[in-house]
Amino acid sequence: MSSTPLLRCERLVVGYGGRPVLPPVDLEIRPGEFWVVVGRNGSGKTTWFRTLLGLLSPVSGQVAWPQGRRPIAYVPQRSAFDELYPVPVREVVAMGAERGWSFLSPGGGRGDRVRQALTEVGAWELRDRNFRALSEGQKQRVLLARMLCSQAGIALLDEPTAAMDAVAEEEAMAMLDGLRRAHNLALVVVSHHLQVAFRHADRILFLDPEVGVEVGTVAEIQQSEAWRARYQDRHAGVLP
Amino acid sequence: MNPPIPAWADFVGAWDLFRDPVICGVAAGAVLGLLGVHVVLRRMVFVAATLSQVSGLGVALAFFAGIHLGTEVPPVLGALALSLLAAVLVSLDTRRLRVSRDSVLATLWLLAGGLAVMVGDRITQEAHDIAGILFGTAVLVRPEDLRAVLGVGALVATGATWAGRGLVFAGFDPDGARVQGLPVRALDVSLLVAVTVMVAVSTRALGALPVFAFSVLPALAALLAVRHLRWAFPLAALLGALAGGLGYLAAFFLSFPVGACQAVTAGLFVLLAVPVRLARGGE
Repeated sequence: MSSTPLLRCERLVVGYGGRPVLPPVDLEIRPGEFWVVVGRNGSGKTTWFRTLLGLLSPVSGQVAWPQGRRPIAYVPQRSAFDELYPVPVREVVAMGAERGWSFLSPGGGRGDRVRQALTEVGAWELRDRNFRALSEGQKQRVLLARMLCSQAGIALLDEPTAAMDAVAEEEAMAMLDGLRRAHNLALVVVSHHLQVAFRHADRILFLDPEVGVEVGTVAEIQQSEAWRARYQDRHAGVLP
Repeated sequence: MNPPIPAWADFVGAWDLFRDPVICGVAAGAVLGLLGVHVVLRRMVFVAATLSQVSGLGVALAFFAGIHLGTEVPPVLGALALSLLAAVLVSLDTRRLRVSRDSVLATLWLLAGGLAVMVGDRITQEAHDIAGILFGTAVLVRPEDLRAVLGVGALVATGATWAGRGLVFAGFDPDGARVQGLPVRALDVSLLVAVTVMVAVSTRALGALPVFAFSVLPALAALLAVRHLRWAFPLAALLGALAGGLGYLAAFFLSFPVGACQAVTAGLFVLLAVPVRLARGGE
């Protein structure tokens, strides 16, 4: 994992209206790495995440792309989708292939990508079902297929295992891990579930406006001052 | 004693007279039906209501300017100007005022409706036109209004179909669309402008009530009846066209106001679609 970074945060300060919510963050994300972003509610995870996605402007610093700007695959929470829309699964997956003004061109030729992606996550049989009618686990697989269909080098996933039971959550994370390895895909996952996240993560970004920001491996994070201040001293019971 | 019900031959015999309003109703119904799928899915139903009401006020003000101010303003221009202004107001971020968009829409709708009636009261010789504008009682359509509906309708339908995939993506998952570089804001504004312009020209020709009905009811019926979104667009266009044409026929044979018949016909499609959805269940 010593290749050129896909993405580099350089003294990146995130916030709203010019007001920072977190200290500066420096980190590099390389192909195939599995990052987990952890922190308590209100710790700035969503703000940091939306800044990385380009949905918010940084307060200062920048997000650089050392290999050139690459497409990002974004897997939002399932509640982010408007369920009034009766969109069939194959069309949801095909959305992953859209870029810029591509929707003005005929969509032909995307069928193979959609079939391959759905087959890879074991959801081909769902192709003609409406997305809104699927179970939470099925929706998650469809969104992973959309992520693959985007052919991005890096994917950002917002609470991908929310509302899942422990077994489904472990299966989902294992599937993510498998896709990451198969496609050399860099994953950045926001998660509240420390136990599962720590089992799969290569690197952790720990955010806490009070005690600080830490970046490192699982072992490094667990030894960090910020982590210890937040969890070992105050909330030891929730530690993995 | 009720007047005798006209025969089909009477309608066919006077086709030259009825042709333009029927074509206008069919065209406006089809295009607004197509756009209405986006309107319903994006929860913009009361945007369409407000725009049609404000367009009616624009037409009334154009008459008023011509009669009392000596300034000839084409009514369709009055409708366009005011509805575009309303569209700008509707698209403003109201969060700083701590009021919902519904409240803004209700304010505009009520102001426009009240003002249209007040203006209509001061232009007595055009009072019939005002009633026609607001409720769609006009039996005839002027050639220039028909041309406007056909021209704008062709442009809007082509644009909405061409950009259809982008409009659906931007409505279904706006953040995902933004991340992938889709021009979400431009798509939102384009849709609002398309609805505004089509509503304005159609309101001048047909009246606010049927235009609001065409913007909502065929799309709602189609979304109830079909399983997948891609079929909702052609079906909504078809049902809108049928509501425009059959509504006119119903008005002719039953001696009712045209706009009301077109609105009720479109509403009947919704009632027919409900059991279809219930029978299908599931998705």
